[in-house]
Amino acid sequence: MSVARKARHLVWTRRTVQTVALVLFVVLLAANRPTTGLAPDAPVALFFDLDPLVMVGAWLSTHTLAGASLLGLVTILITLVFGRVFCGWFCPLGTLHNLVGSIRDQYRRVTIRVEKYSRWQRAKYYLLAALLVMSLTGANWLGILDPFSLLYRSLALTVIPAADLAVGAAANAIYLGDPHLGALHLRDLTEPFYTWWRNNVTATELRVFTGAGLIFLIFVATLVLNLVRNRFWCRYLCPLGGLLGAFSVRPLLRLTSDADTCNGCGECTLGCPAAAQPEQPDQWLATECFGCWNCVDKCRNESLDFTWRRPSRQTSTGSLDLGKRRLLTATVAGLGGLALMRLTPQAHGQTYNPGLIRPPGALAEREFLQRCVQCSLCMQVCPTAALQPAWHQAGLEGLWTPVLVPAIGYCEFECHACGQVCPTEAIEPLPLAVKKKVNIGLAVIDTTRCLPFAYDRECIVCEEHCPIPTKAITFELRETVLRDGSMRTLKFPVVDPDLCTGCGICETKCPFQDLAAIRITSAGEDRHPGNQPVLASRDSNQENYGY
Amino acid sequence: MPGPDRRVFLKTTALAGGALLLADPVALARSALAAEPPAAMSIARWSEGALATADLTTMATRLTEAAIASVGGMARFVSQGDVVWIKPNIGWNRRPELAANTNPDVVGTLVRLCHEAGAKTVKVGDHSCHPARQAYRTSGIAAAAEANGAQVAYLDQRRFVDTKLAGRRLDTWPIYAEIMAADLVINVPVVKHHGLTGASVAMKNYMGVIGGQRNAWHQNMAPCLADITRFMKPQITVVDAVRVLTAHGPQGGDPNDVQLRGVVAAGTDIVALDAFGAALLGHEPQEIETIQAAADRGLGTLDFQSLAPVESTLS
Repeated sequence: MSVARKARHLVWTRRTVQTVALVLFVVLLAANRPTTGLAPDAPVALFFDLDPLVMVGAWLSTHTLAGASLLGLVTILITLVFGRVFCGWFCPLGTLHNLVGSIRDQYRRVTIRVEKYSRWQRAKYYLLAALLVMSLTGANWLGILDPFSLLYRSLALTVIPAADLAVGAAANAIYLGDPHLGALHLRDLTEPFYTWWRNNVTATELRVFTGAGLIFLIFVATLVLNLVRNRFWCRYLCPLGGLLGAFSVRPLLRLTSDADTCNGCGECTLGCPAAAQPEQPDQWLATECFGCWNCVDKCRNESLDFTWRRPSRQTSTGSLDLGKRRLLTATVAGLGGLALMRLTPQAHGQTYNPGLIRPPGALAEREFLQRCVQCSLCMQVCPTAALQPAWHQAGLEGLWTPVLVPAIGYCEFECHACGQVCPTEAIEPLPLAVKKKVNIGLAVIDTTRCLPFAYDRECIVCEEHCPIPTKAITFELRETVLRDGSMRTLKFPVVDPDLCTGCGICETKCPFQDLAAIRITSAGEDRHPGNQPVLASRDSNQENYGY
Repeated sequence: MPGPDRRVFLKTTALAGGALLLADPVALARSALAAEPPAAMSIARWSEGALATADLTTMATRLTEAAIASVGGMARFVSQGDVVWIKPNIGWNRRPELAANTNPDVVGTLVRLCHEAGAKTVKVGDHSCHPARQAYRTSGIAAAAEANGAQVAYLDQRRFVDTKLAGRRLDTWPIYAEIMAADLVINVPVVKHHGLTGASVAMKNYMGVIGGQRNAWHQNMAPCLADITRFMKPQITVVDAVRVLTAHGPQGGDPNDVQLRGVVAAGTDIVALDAFGAALLGHEPQEIETIQAAADRGLGTLDFQSLAPVESTLS
């Protein structure tokens, strides 16, 4: 087969693989919708298992490795052989950037601009170095910039809710307005689609997430940057790209060019999304190249080809020249950033944020932050939208980590899905029977608002919803004097701290929707021995409800 | 007072004159012999001696069939081509054994009977307290309804429409549009203890057709339930007491709170059926404020025995 034909085939194969990977990413995201409250059947964390950045980050911060994350080694092995093909062939975020880049090229009217290699492309390595230093010292911020975390978070917390809002608004307007022409009802067309949508995409009532706007803007910004430079994110910023770049200093498969047939037309450069300098036979940048084969495909003289080389042989550019001083600066910046984030009383257990309620099974805060990669799989699978991305509750260090907000949703008694899908076991995969007994907080009654206490009214909604079979919230009958002096017996709620797990349904369902009259705080959470106001009954951990 | 609407008129006519057209010779003979309106209430019981050994699916199915047959059969309520909404209690993400939701086989049987009576579409749905997907699934109701060809309807929060109840306590309240659009709503509650009201039966089950801030009803439950019951104009209520939740209701969760009773009752008087349910829980109906208030409003009778319920014992 001629080089041109081979390149043509490989380019189309790559596009197919990219499409499949992107579709798979979205399918696995939809498979993680909250249908059952149990672990989804599909391998919903697959992409994160394959992500070597997640693996390296967890290893650096916890000095342990979770079993499935060892799949990241496969990615590294492939990179050692083929270079950064992960970026060029597989990464769904890269594929989205490719799409935006192609659209740009289709509609660009001005002269085509040659995008030369920029030394700023080294930024991603410095960023990676800073993040890895932070991980090593226990603050896992990798997920803020990890491409899979970024894409998952953006889709699950912003794009899908926005689409659901739009689809639901349109479908409901058509349903309720019922526009029709004779016996032809528009809703007969829209309802089957809406039913399909609700069954297969969302599976819940509309779920929206705190601060989705900024997460969405960041996502859109990474896409728009393709207008400045093709695959700007992948070239300049992506820490996973940096990590894989570091592993592709001497790949076995390398671009070679035939100086005799090259006429220096530069077509290959126009096709290169990575600014890897295919046009300069001696200066091809193995650490930047995505292995996409565009350059080989573009070359009319068949001067370029990827060929096998022994690893002992240096690449034309030698090694990754990052500069010791710059690397040191990045390291210091990482440590400095970490120190600044840690300089809070909360980071040192001197105080506990009452609003920092973590999902059941979440490790103690320090270990939790070491593991969580801000991917939002737990938020996507939570049936009540109780799990929300943290903004302030856990400090800057805990940005976008999951926090349970009972004013929005509650921890469903018969559900343990968040721990089952967590790719890094920041939330332990507890069996359901164990999860039911995990204390994540404690309910407290605000008698200045609670209806029977403050307004002489019957209510007891909290008692009705308390899921503990023998009820952590009970009521006592007490007489109260009404305004006209008469006596009335009312039901007053009482919380049993030995039974309350802090699931939060009482707060969610309280008639006060602005500031509930019964609220959960993190007090009593099992994960922190220092946050235990109530002396636990001696055998509270040995109870067995028998269900 | 609004007069009887066209549907009621048509049904009455169909019942009075159309008996001759019925294919079922037994029903024909019965109506010809008795020449009196079908019973207002029926109670089907599983014989107590056989309770412990019975297969619960068979029991629930046969009890439901018997209860419906004894109030004149489903064709008394369902007309050809009707859209029927079956409204069980699917409030909670709880297994059938815990009796927090209506028995799935009672629901499934009703779906089948509706189809047999000529219903075009049978929808099953409730405004759950817990996440609906989980509650529908765990309760077994989604599977039972689907197996019998019903549409399992997951409610959409955006489809509750402000509706004039013109009640004594409530003027307007958001009601689920699709339920109001149905030709017939079959209320199928389970008999449960309830912390606030003492007993939760059929009228309390109507809280699953309303939206809005329904938890505020707790402040004045009795008149609110009377208002919604009057608005819903119940035609047929089927009470599931195959298993009864006797404490820690309405959600339960402790198997020790569940009693196997093996009873299904049906009828046209929702207050009488609520009174019957309260009695199963060991209450005098008058003790339950919501039931007493509905009787005071003239929505039905507390004395269900006065309706001479047709009782049958199965085994």
